[in-house]
Amino acid sequence: MSLTDRIARGLEAGWKVSDGATLTRNQTHEADVVIIGTGAGGGTTAEILAKAGLSVILVEEGRLYHQKDFKMNELDAYASLYQEGMSRVTKDGAIAILQGRCVGGSTTVNWTSSFRTPAPTLNHWASRFGLDDLSPEAMRPWFDGREERHNIEPWLTAPNVNNDILRQGCEALGWSWEVIPRNVKGCWNLGYCGVGCPTNAKQGALTTSIPGALDNNAHLFHGLRADKLVMNQDRIDHLQASAMAADGVTPSGITVNLKARHFVVAASAIGSPGLLLRSDIPDPHARLGKRTFLHPVNATIAEMPDTVDPYYGAPQSIYSDEFNFSQGVDGPAGFKLEVPPLHPAMSAGVVPGHGEQQVNDLSKLPRMNSVIALLRDGFHPDSPGGTVSLRDDGSPMLDYPVTDYLWQGLRDAFYKMAEIQFAAGARKVRLMHLDSPWYNTWADAKAGIDNLPMEPHRVRLFTAHQMGGCGMGRNPEESVVNGFGEHHQVPNLSVHDASVFPTSIGANPQLSVYALAARNSTRLASRLS
Amino acid sequence: MPENLSRSVQTELPDTAMDRRSFLRTGLGGAMFLGTVSVTAGLSGCATAPAGRDYPMPGAMDQSYEFQFLTRDDIVLFQALLPAMVGPGLSEEPVVRRQQTQATIERIDAGIHQFGPANQKELRGLFDLLNFGLTRVTVARVWSSWENVSTETAHAFLERWRTSGIGLFNNGYIALTKVSNVAFYGHEDHWHLSGYPGPPTWAMDALPQFKDNA
Repeated sequence: MSLTDRIARGLEAGWKVSDGATLTRNQTHEADVVIIGTGAGGGTTAEILAKAGLSVILVEEGRLYHQKDFKMNELDAYASLYQEGMSRVTKDGAIAILQGRCVGGSTTVNWTSSFRTPAPTLNHWASRFGLDDLSPEAMRPWFDGREERHNIEPWLTAPNVNNDILRQGCEALGWSWEVIPRNVKGCWNLGYCGVGCPTNAKQGALTTSIPGALDNNAHLFHGLRADKLVMNQDRIDHLQASAMAADGVTPSGITVNLKARHFVVAASAIGSPGLLLRSDIPDPHARLGKRTFLHPVNATIAEMPDTVDPYYGAPQSIYSDEFNFSQGVDGPAGFKLEVPPLHPAMSAGVVPGHGEQQVNDLSKLPRMNSVIALLRDGFHPDSPGGTVSLRDDGSPMLDYPVTDYLWQGLRDAFYKMAEIQFAAGARKVRLMHLDSPWYNTWADAKAGIDNLPMEPHRVRLFTAHQMGGCGMGRNPEESVVNGFGEHHQVPNLSVHDASVFPTSIGANPQLSVYALAARNSTRLASRLS
Repeated sequence: MPENLSRSVQTELPDTAMDRRSFLRTGLGGAMFLGTVSVTAGLSGCATAPAGRDYPMPGAMDQSYEFQFLTRDDIVLFQALLPAMVGPGLSEEPVVRRQQTQATIERIDAGIHQFGPANQKELRGLFDLLNFGLTRVTVARVWSSWENVSTETAHAFLERWRTSGIGLFNNGYIALTKVSNVAFYGHEDHWHLSGYPGPPTWAMDALPQFKDNA
């Protein structure tokens, strides 16, 4: 059992950690490198640079939460650990965006699925974006290294029933399925990864790279919002940041300036382009914020004959790639199939409805299974992604039009998910769609899906994976950074997060971010040392 | 009537020729429309300040919560909507029912406080549209003020917005149901409705953060 809280121990030992809410005067600090964001990319970068002997300042807008705060409570966790208190959506409101906002970023709240970047994705990047250095062979040592750092291994415990239904359905239909590798050590198999791991078993940034960086003298500011990178001629001079009050959402009025030789932006596919746009960073080809991808997710729920308890046990342990790359890397939209955990607040927010119908639907929770499809967006010309722009108040906003190409993929996914659930013995299946009834047979569901309108809002859409917006590529005319995350125009700026991906990944992206950030930080460390 | 408003009213009429998806692409029109209502609502005597400790709830037992976002009018709106929203999930016993309603509205307020400025602005527009008499009647097609609205009328309103061919109304339906459903079903007091037993007791017993002094 892993009950050691690395954060509590480090704070006691005198780590340099500053809470923005406690700052009472404007101030300036200086380091070799300032890193904005503490998620998969920022955490990895901080640890590698700090271990190389560089002085590092980490900046996180969210607050520092750790084991003492992780009480398996959905409402508290959604309010404190997620962007916009779990209410973030795309510009037209049609896609709900699940994204972490705390030290550790989304790795603090993700469901621990850890996949290598699929080879077809890396090969597509080589041929389409000139990223030949990121071939599967070249990336292998970086994946090996990060799998070791984050204790990533296929989940050897039996899947919970919710995941096993996906396995059974695929087995019955002759479709492939596999066991998901997870980044856990001594996991209790509780099922609360999404609300902050209560046992410190999850090996996200919060329990690995952030402590590693702080042990090596890095200075963490949390509750501090990065407002603007201020240029002096062709280089960034300093970061201007605002301290947040203890509620995490109200600026306190205190300003912090952070000077450095080099700046690494790792504030996510929405936050990073937002910061660079606010800062008027040179963007001669208008690439900033373009080609943002989401792995758009649709879902079905099933009423099973026996108990599922979808709120208990490792939330994701089985997946199917049967339809992910089967029609070619740039053919019709492929999708990965997984299951989500179902706790009452999440279920009440995801299952659309009200009144008696809603009470009846939610009362089925103990026997409910859900399957989700994650669409692989960005590989086809008809899937150009979304665009991040700034609101009047400077906050970033994502406009993501769902194209007909993607609607076709979403409809295909509805068929496959419903078929799997009936094949696994479901009594009834309902699509997460405003017009969907409960279907009693696969034939009924099939006929229903034929006719349901595939339209924004009516189809309930979600995303837990935000990628792109500061895309990497060889050609500066169609990218923001090169294959090492180095900005094409500004010499002391790098981007080390999922925003550099030129397409979506086609798998849960955390290991892709860890591995690329490790590679690019190792190079940056040797450049700066 | 502002131009955007009149256009939306027209499109709410049945058999409109307007293409559903072309309307959805005019997201800016929707945002401007809601913004216009907010300004108009403020000028017409709708409550615009957070209710603070000024409870419009008759017989509220505990008034220790301070509202940070919802106005008195918003609170009345949710008092009218919740019986239709969570239906038979609410107790029949009047005192318990009042406490459940009040606690749920307090949690809705606390949740929205964490949403931050951008989504608060969207919700302000939506709530003002529903509270302002002219738009309540023309857009939501609810004839009496919310304090006099029956559960059946509130249900019919929610059904209209759920089944509407206009994305903006579907979006409003999702916003209203999402904040209500999460605040209601997500709370420990109502876990029994979904059959959720809560976090495993053996784990809570073994973990330091659940000890009394944690």
